[in-house]
Amino acid sequence: MPADHDDRLPDALLQRVVAELKQPVRLDPAVDHRALEEIRAESSGWHASANGHRWGVWIASAAVAAGLLVAVVFRIDQPSTAAAPAVAEVRLEDGAAKPVHLRLEAPASSKVAVVGDFNDWDPVATPLHLTEKGGVWTVELQLKPGRYHYTFLIDGRRWERDPSEPPAPGSDFGAPVSVLTVI
Amino acid sequence: MSNSVPSHEADLSTKPAVTGSPHPPLTLSQPEAEGGLLRMSDSDAALVARTLGGDLSAFAALMARYRDKFGRYAFHMLGNREDAQEALQDSFVRAYRALGACRQPERFGAWLFRILVNRCRTVRRRLQRDRQFDGDLPDDVPSNGARPDSFEWRDEIGLALDQLRPHYREAFLLRYVEGLDYAEMSEMTGAKEPALRMRVKRASDQLRELLRDVHAG
Repeated sequence: MPADHDDRLPDALLQRVVAELKQPVRLDPAVDHRALEEIRAESSGWHASANGHRWGVWIASAAVAAGLLVAVVFRIDQPSTAAAPAVAEVRLEDGAAKPVHLRLEAPASSKVAVVGDFNDWDPVATPLHLTEKGGVWTVELQLKPGRYHYTFLIDGRRWERDPSEPPAPGSDFGAPVSVLTVI
Repeated sequence: MSNSVPSHEADLSTKPAVTGSPHPPLTLSQPEAEGGLLRMSDSDAALVARTLGGDLSAFAALMARYRDKFGRYAFHMLGNREDAQEALQDSFVRAYRALGACRQPERFGAWLFRILVNRCRTVRRRLQRDRQFDGDLPDDVPSNGARPDSFEWRDEIGLALDQLRPHYREAFLLRYVEGLDYAEMSEMTGAKEPALRMRVKRASDQLRELLRDVHAG
């Protein structure tokens, strides 16, 4: 690999930082114990044969696949019969990122941002833009298929979830949050 | 591949030995005890094979082998010991579930580390979200038990790391602390090498700026 600017630690400061970060970190060995307990608890529902592990993985995978199939069939056959969707949905044909438009009416606000799983909840990463229609803020996101929790941050201090989408079910985030599912 | 016991659910301390002799008592803190059935010299591939054959103590040896080595990354990435331990525990469980899909068992460590990097991203997002709603910085500053005279410097490093964007912090730690090259980092994170180089550079620049005064003092 050719040497370049970041292949070296040219200054003493960063060398000192890295030396400190390389110091051993001891974690509680009980981590292993707890992991084993969790594995045992899961394994108790699997076949106890010599091939139990592989069968267990296979069965779990098959169950997940079956569940996904049922979910897909249900959504295709009944696209509009549910009284209210659990989450907002944007349908995509493949796994590529596609545009998702968010909109918020906040006429008395001087700035609006959206924070969510897609931008590490960074309050400055994704500002909304004020449109010509007074008080309407919009932004276009490029999102890959997935499930995203998000909310708006108004004037840098007030949280407001997207009123056009359902709230996150069972949200325990301490603030109003919406859920967007991109499929 | 060893002879395997019939079930991977058996108690660690009572599992029959692969040779047919009683399995030596095995504690979780010393799963790799020399002279026992599990040794530090056992290869990852051998331990993976034994785990797949139903020998859970072999997986315990793998966890003990990588706990602290990978725990350091989780610790610096997440900023506190509790979350690091949670991420590591979760990574172990996920690795066990998917062990049959580990196509290069001799590279189990790299495979496990990739799982951990992803888990840290997930936990990091949750922490970031919680912090936004809490509206302040975390109280917990990484502490690895070093000498008291280095507390201040270490705390400053922890605070500086905490101010980096997660992707910058991740790239910096992988490159300089864990010693991965850019091809490995790309495989690990799914990001392109030029992007990773830029993240490392920006992380370095920001750390330099954040820590210059402390370092000079």
